[in-house]
Amino acid sequence: MHLRLWAVGLVSLLMLAIPVAAEASIGVGIQAGPVRLAGVAHPGGSYALPSVYVVNTGTEDESLAIRIERLSSGQGRPVPAGWIRPGAAVQLSHSESARIPLELVVPEAARPGQYLTDVVVKGSAGLSRGSATLDVAAATKLEFQVAPGVVAGSWFAVPSWLLPGIGVVLLVAAAAVVARRFGVRIEIDRVAADAAQLQAGRRDASP
Amino acid sequence: MLRNSKLGDAMLARSVRWLMAVAVVVLGAAVAGCGSTPAPPGAGTAASVNLSLTTVPTIRSVTVSPGNAQIGGCSGGLASNNTKSTTKKLGFPDGRCWFGKPGPSGIFPIRITNKGIASNIYVSGSSATPADNGTGWTLCNIGRDPAVACTGRLHLVPGADQYLLRNFSRLDKPDYGGLTDDPACDHVFGRSHSCLAGEGISQTEGIELVGPASSSDNSTQWTVTITWMPVPQ
Repeated sequence: MHLRLWAVGLVSLLMLAIPVAAEASIGVGIQAGPVRLAGVAHPGGSYALPSVYVVNTGTEDESLAIRIERLSSGQGRPVPAGWIRPGAAVQLSHSESARIPLELVVPEAARPGQYLTDVVVKGSAGLSRGSATLDVAAATKLEFQVAPGVVAGSWFAVPSWLLPGIGVVLLVAAAAVVARRFGVRIEIDRVAADAAQLQAGRRDASP
Repeated sequence: MLRNSKLGDAMLARSVRWLMAVAVVVLGAAVAGCGSTPAPPGAGTAASVNLSLTTVPTIRSVTVSPGNAQIGGCSGGLASNNTKSTTKKLGFPDGRCWFGKPGPSGIFPIRITNKGIASNIYVSGSSATPADNGTGWTLCNIGRDPAVACTGRLHLVPGADQYLLRNFSRLDKPDYGGLTDDPACDHVFGRSHSCLAGEGISQTEGIELVGPASSSDNSTQWTVTITWMPVPQ
């Protein structure tokens, strides 16, 4: 009787487990709104872009990483992948989300204008069926504008020779202070010569 | 002078005492006013209502569920070379395997669901990678305007170190040339050039794989990856 009850319980548990296994899925999500730089960028400048919201919408744990790839149609110059530096991949469980930072580095030779590309988030896991792996990704737009004129240097920028120069001046000043305070003293004592020595000196000097 | 200084000190001490007294009074008033003062008679009682609000999704997302099927149904190859396909092993040349089964009464084990806002669903394939990381097979295409033309017989089958991946659904698209490295509209999500899918829309698909005429790499274990991706309209 007990054995039969155990068997029924086991079968029920298996029945519950089978649909869960069958519904295993992989999924990723990304913010629908485009990533936009506030203000304009200038050649030679680097800018922190708004971080990108990503989410694991599948049932499996995933490591989500982002890359830059133009997929959207629309106006705007393509963005070389090297201009965008994404943050590190994030490990997320089911339904977990995170924000991944992005940095825009505009080279000095960049042409002014409107730029358009896509931020693509991709999961690392994938689901394998024999030798085929099924994978997912998701994309959102990335837009920014480059205005003419190289980015201005910061107000505290100084010529390269200035700091070593200041160091040398300070060193000399410190040495002067130390010499004045603890410097070597030279004492000169005058001693009167005796008469015999003076007489001998006169004799040697006469022709 | 001394007298003046003492006078100044005395005045300073007096002003400090004043300041301290004022500070104590202000502090006391502040402490007394911290929620302990009863409401004046006749004043209304504050009330609030909590409203919970659910918004539509603001993410772009897709999920893929491969079901329990396995790659199989392989055919093709050359028996005289001992390279004929077996049920689960791809043969050479022109071996062909299936993940699912095409046709009106077919099997389409992969379910792709748009879990976010309306987006175009793109799909792409990868080069096939051998277990020894040697020379892989690159994707090729057939039909009109192939991205990379297959170099096999009549350009209808892959040449050496090429392979063809085609996804299919219940409604076949006869002129479909196959997946490319670059993500492109998944034809299963749209009969025309569009592949727009609204929130919650899902499709089921299968995959056909046609192997190369010959392989430079001798590995018997290969991996291919198919990626689905929602892209802004």
